Amino acid sequence: MLAESVGASATGVAILDEQDRVVYANAAFAVQLHLPHAAALIDTLALSTWTHSASAQERDALEQQLRDPDASVLDLQVAGSETTTLYLDDRREGRRIVMVSNDWPMPGAPRNVIAQLDALTGLANRATYDEYVQSLSSSKEESPASAVILLDLDRFKQVNDTLGHAIGDSLLILAAKRMRSAIRSDDILIRLGGDEFVILQAHNKQPESAESVAERLVELLQRPFLINGHQVNSGASIGIAVLGQGTREPEDLLKHADLALYEAKRLGRSRYCFFESSLESRALERRNLELDLRRALCLRQFSLLYQPQKSLSDDSISGFEALIRWDHPVRGRVSPVDFIPLAEELGEIHAIGEWVMRTACQQAATWEGEQSVAVNVSPLQFEDDHIVDVVTKALKDSGLAPERLEIEITESTLMNNTEEVMQRLWAIKNMGVGIAMDDFGTGYASLSHLNSFPFSKLKIDKSFIQAEQSPRAKALMDAILTMGTSLGMMTIAEGVETPDQYKELAQGGCNTVQGYYIAKPMAPDTIESFMRSMQTVSITPVG
Amino acid sequence: MDKTLYRLVYLSRNTITGDDDRLQDEIRGILDVSQRNNRQAGVTGALMFNTGCFAQVLEGPHNRIQDTFERIQCDPRHSHVSVLAFDRVEARYFSDWDMAFVGQNAQSIEQFADFNERSSFDAKALDGDTVFELLRIHLDEAERA
Repeated sequence: MLAESVGASATGVAILDEQDRVVYANAAFAVQLHLPHAAALIDTLALSTWTHSASAQERDALEQQLRDPDASVLDLQVAGSETTTLYLDDRREGRRIVMVSNDWPMPGAPRNVIAQLDALTGLANRATYDEYVQSLSSSKEESPASAVILLDLDRFKQVNDTLGHAIGDSLLILAAKRMRSAIRSDDILIRLGGDEFVILQAHNKQPESAESVAERLVELLQRPFLINGHQVNSGASIGIAVLGQGTREPEDLLKHADLALYEAKRLGRSRYCFFESSLESRALERRNLELDLRRALCLRQFSLLYQPQKSLSDDSISGFEALIRWDHPVRGRVSPVDFIPLAEELGEIHAIGEWVMRTACQQAATWEGEQSVAVNVSPLQFEDDHIVDVVTKALKDSGLAPERLEIEITESTLMNNTEEVMQRLWAIKNMGVGIAMDDFGTGYASLSHLNSFPFSKLKIDKSFIQAEQSPRAKALMDAILTMGTSLGMMTIAEGVETPDQYKELAQGGCNTVQGYYIAKPMAPDTIESFMRSMQTVSITPVG
Repeated sequence: MDKTLYRLVYLSRNTITGDDDRLQDEIRGILDVSQRNNRQAGVTGALMFNTGCFAQVLEGPHNRIQDTFERIQCDPRHSHVSVLAFDRVEARYFSDWDMAFVGQNAQSIEQFADFNERSSFDAKALDGDTVFELLRIHLDEAERA
């Protein structure tokens, strides 16, 4: 695999054994040294066939140099008066890599630097970047506006995963060539690692110069590549930081470019973004939120509120939906809309979800009546079998009858790994637990999802309930209710806030309603008094 | 060297700005350079163009096509490259590398007439292949009035 990509590399590469015999040479190596075939070099003594015009004496001197373990460069005369520089790596386990490139990435760069070379692309590497930043920092003069253009190949991971690493490596080589064709000769192109590249620009005319290069790179790299008989599509996302223009310290250039790159990706990739200070404060804020969220569970900052669900057939409270709240001592109450997606991204959702399940079951088990408790489960929790254990354990520990537990999942749960997800859903259903489809009617709303699993309940999204009253909206609602009933599912409407909405739903045959019109979410210790008030005061909201 | 033949068919948008004289100059330049390069590389094929777009067929060994394509990709005179086909083939359609103006616009036809006269471009070679039919349709649609 590696041999294949090195074989295709534009940088000449040869490997020598302990006796300085050639054990490997790629095609580019032969070309750079004006030798006929790479294959013919194998097993020959290094240098013996490499020089054309050196005298025996010169050759001896060169061989001496080569034997020196500290030697890192070797100037070799090839084809008449032309001189080529060989770059020698340290000996490792007796072997030594020799590289040669006539297309050197850094004009005027120190030539002691095989360590500053990326073997795959022949570009400068991370060490060059560090040196450059150091030179900016130590420079006493007012630095010219220097730009760091950080580039990340889009879909590189997919290419590696689906087509293999050899093709991924070829993509890197071809992409590096395209980049080089798009930049000025005094720009420095560096491969930082993986699919990350940096272009260093030291022109006074910034940000215009960086902008025009970035624009060109985005355009060039989104064009298809042809590799190994495949058409490969990649692309580039780019972040730019300019010294003296939002970035004061050279050490911050890469960090700032990275923040801008993150923003470019967030905005949909295949584009470039400049660093702005707001990106930094936003990242800092996000980082703090992350830290707070990671310890919220341990610090017991989460609590559950319960919103009553009212059965329309007998006006009784049939159950409650458990809703998570995060009360942070400084932030105050953080909305689940803000922290659940972050928890999913961080993987914290598993621990939080487990806590919710356990707590809701425990609290529901203390209620006097037989009301059900509905618990939201994130699609991520269904990605492994653990969710089945979580439910089993929560029921066992609390002693709650499985029939009183209801799990609310969204359609996106069914989007991936359908077969395994189905098995987990069935395992939970077979315990006697109800499974409700949440937010029905939003998202993909594929009716085939309804057919794929016997949901016990259909929860109609509040957008339908709160839609402006019209014959069309009513027809749609009636159709959803009829469909639910025909498929043998209970229907529940959420977000019911007005008497009119309530009346419509009651007339339409909806089974259950939930919303401010019935009651707001309440703390667990107020449920008892709420239930008592429901028994003593007969509220008939339909006037 | 691997002798397996590949055929690449792609379309791109012509971004040459300016009048027809400029276009003619640029196209002449492309023709000269490509003919030289492609002959050396053992790449045959055809470049069809009009005022709106380029359509190119390249045939040859994989890496030669890759090199040629990479060179073309970095050319600022076109944009929006879309690859219609990149497949192994048994034989070449084109024995040489050629270029033809494919347009309906009367003025352009006249202007580029000498191209088609000088060229040995054989449009018949394109008959009977769906990809080539598609190319023609695209070329017709892309022509600027």
